[in-house]
Amino acid sequence: MPAPASLSCRDITKRFDRTLALDRVCFDVRAGEVHALCGENGAGKSTLARVIAGVARPDSGEIFLDGARVEITGPARARALGIGIVFQELDLFNGLSIAENMALGHPRAEKAFVNRRALAAWSRPFLRRVGLQNADPLAPLAAQSIATAQLVAIARALALDARFLLLDEPTSSLTEDAAGHLLALVAELRAAGAGIVYVSHKMREIFRVADRVTVLRDGALVSTKNASGTSMDETVSLMVGRALDTAARIATTPRADIALEVENLCTRRLKNISVRVRRGEIVGVAGLVGAGRSTLGKALFGMEPWTGGRATLAGARFRPRSPDEAILAGLAYLPEDRRGQGLFLQTSVRHNASAAILCRLRRGPFVRRWQETKLVRDELEKTRAKIPSLAAPVSALSGGNQQKVLLAKWLLTRPALLYLDDPTRGVDIGAKADVYKLIAGLSAAGAGILLASSEMPELLRLAHRIIVLHEGRVTGVLDAATATQEEIMSLATGMREIKTQE
Amino acid sequence: MKIKLPMFPGRFREVLGLVLIFAAAAAFSPAGSGGENIFLQFDNLTDILRQQAEIGIIALAMTLVIIAGGIDLSVGSLLAFVASLAAMLLVKWQPGLGAGAHIAAALLAALAASALLGFLNGIVIARLRVQPFIVTLATMIGVRGLARWMTDNTNIDFGFGDNVSAKFADIFSEKLFVIGLWGAAALVFYVLLEFTVFGRHARAVGENEKTAGYTGLPIRRTKVLVYSLCGLAAGVAGLIHAARSYQGNPNDGVAYELDAIAAVVIGGTALAGGKGSIFGTVVGALIMGVLTNILRLRLIDTNVEFMIKAVIIVAAVWLQSARKPK
Repeated sequence: MPAPASLSCRDITKRFDRTLALDRVCFDVRAGEVHALCGENGAGKSTLARVIAGVARPDSGEIFLDGARVEITGPARARALGIGIVFQELDLFNGLSIAENMALGHPRAEKAFVNRRALAAWSRPFLRRVGLQNADPLAPLAAQSIATAQLVAIARALALDARFLLLDEPTSSLTEDAAGHLLALVAELRAAGAGIVYVSHKMREIFRVADRVTVLRDGALVSTKNASGTSMDETVSLMVGRALDTAARIATTPRADIALEVENLCTRRLKNISVRVRRGEIVGVAGLVGAGRSTLGKALFGMEPWTGGRATLAGARFRPRSPDEAILAGLAYLPEDRRGQGLFLQTSVRHNASAAILCRLRRGPFVRRWQETKLVRDELEKTRAKIPSLAAPVSALSGGNQQKVLLAKWLLTRPALLYLDDPTRGVDIGAKADVYKLIAGLSAAGAGILLASSEMPELLRLAHRIIVLHEGRVTGVLDAATATQEEIMSLATGMREIKTQE
Repeated sequence: MKIKLPMFPGRFREVLGLVLIFAAAAAFSPAGSGGENIFLQFDNLTDILRQQAEIGIIALAMTLVIIAGGIDLSVGSLLAFVASLAAMLLVKWQPGLGAGAHIAAALLAALAASALLGFLNGIVIARLRVQPFIVTLATMIGVRGLARWMTDNTNIDFGFGDNVSAKFADIFSEKLFVIGLWGAAALVFYVLLEFTVFGRHARAVGENEKTAGYTGLPIRRTKVLVYSLCGLAAGVAGLIHAARSYQGNPNDGVAYELDAIAAVVIGGTALAGGKGSIFGTVVGALIMGVLTNILRLRLIDTNVEFMIKAVIIVAAVWLQSARKPK
């Protein structure tokens, strides 16, 4: 029986298409406690928070508030029940002021006519509590940093006087100082009797503030323990507990010469990244969401201005200022968001595959279509993509085949170094195996590969070495043959750091 | 409710609207003195082509602009500007050249000016990243002002007889020449869009600018070229317009941009960018032309004509989108 003064979920199941995001998960938070929810990327943390906040409806399962069953039909219902949430992706409006953002949807503050002064006065005490006493409540949100916006979102939740508050990765964009302040605020709210669900993968924060720790893995509940009765190490090993694929490592041998050497690369979000990739070597790039995996790829692809550092690619000095410079120098970047950044969905397979090499296919102003067809067809054959016809729009293909077309697009540029950003994301198991073989084949053919992935087994299986990123820094370089998931996770969560020389 | 439309194979579907309008026009056509069908007369049909050539040529370039994810509202003003400029250069300018050289110099100067204005549109849109709607709206207002200021807001009438401007008008109002110009322009834009690297880039930028960026495509150069070509096309239409009206009128061409956009969307080009065809746009311009022609043959009030056109535009675009499998 659920305890009084608690919010509890029983057997929550949520399915997105074919993936089971939550599988009969039970979870509860009591008034006056902080309950941390952790897990790897995609473990189901955010989905569970969204179900509790009424943003996503569960397929099955029940939610109890103070022992009575409740239906949370939408965010407004959740608010009325005293449940507040601060999302990881902030749901604020850039065109409105700080105070107006806080008042939106608030039952008392939102009125037909806006009295700006009254609104400002109303918002100030909440802003003070989150440490924004110096912010002007009437300043537009667009003028604020992400960190301030994050704190505004929290102030808004406070204004709702929620009895239960869900914080989804609340410190992901905060500085150390602001994060410390936030943790103190969480403790203060707990003392005032609020129940707080703290979603995070930062072990240090969790163990500073949480009373209980629940671990999710692949949508299923793994364990719920008292924080005092467990440890960071145990939590990390519970998070990754998944057994490694039984499939053998795909082994290729790196050559002696160096494809890419990066020394002390700095950008706005990266700090002193150094990495060396030999020809034929696969270097894994591990890290949690926001650690800088994609940022590193974009920086090498000329999409993020470098503030420092230097690099050589295939022996020549390399400092691209735009993607076409990077492509010309021999670097290809396969972006993380296949549909939004990688492909032209409505466009044919042929035009997608040749998009990056048109400058090499031209005769005067014209495209050499005959040669284009031949190149594209050969490359797609190598990737074993199943394509109805070269004229079919890529939107008609499955995720795996779309990814193969995208790979073909970049392989046609004949890169010396290929940065693959989560190349098996949203790809089914069969196509995954094909992509793995393809990557191994590229490595055997002598390309240098940086493989960023959110799936550690993938890195352990394919990579020769793994660099681990945490908040824009390299926290360790591991030999993939001997590394363990626990080791990677402890580096990725910032629990530990290995000083190495590259 | 989902209304099911009959499915037609490939290319033929694009012509369906035109065939329907054409058949309706033939059926409702008034009869001539000898009982003949006036609408179907050869001269009437070629008149339609000549009348639609101005909008038709602008619509070709507008197709390119829209496929590349933009819009150009300045073409009507550009047309008036070029018509006025050409008229001034032909009537008031005395370069002391032979008639042929005079005409050629005047045309080149007028077309260069219109291409330059289109180029400026492109530069501001691509470099300063201001929305195309805003930029070309400003150009529409500014160039209209320029044309009126330049001419003191008066019409520049062409001369008669041996005058250079009269010779120019003779050539540029010749039915065959005008229709041929439209046909040639259609061919050029078709080849540009379907067979060139630039055409591929334009489609790519229009469908997904982010992906185009991640592919390393020359986004800015493509946009600048697209708007320059649109300026040039508006200039060519302006020359035809000046010849047909036998003057340069700085107040002409009002709302031409909307007629051109209508022809483009009726032809199945998506306003969202990335998708569309030159063939469709030619069909779209013809649909508008046949409709205008038959309504005028029936002596329908111009205001009623507008209302009927409004319905046809929405119906045609709906027809285009409804057949798309979801």
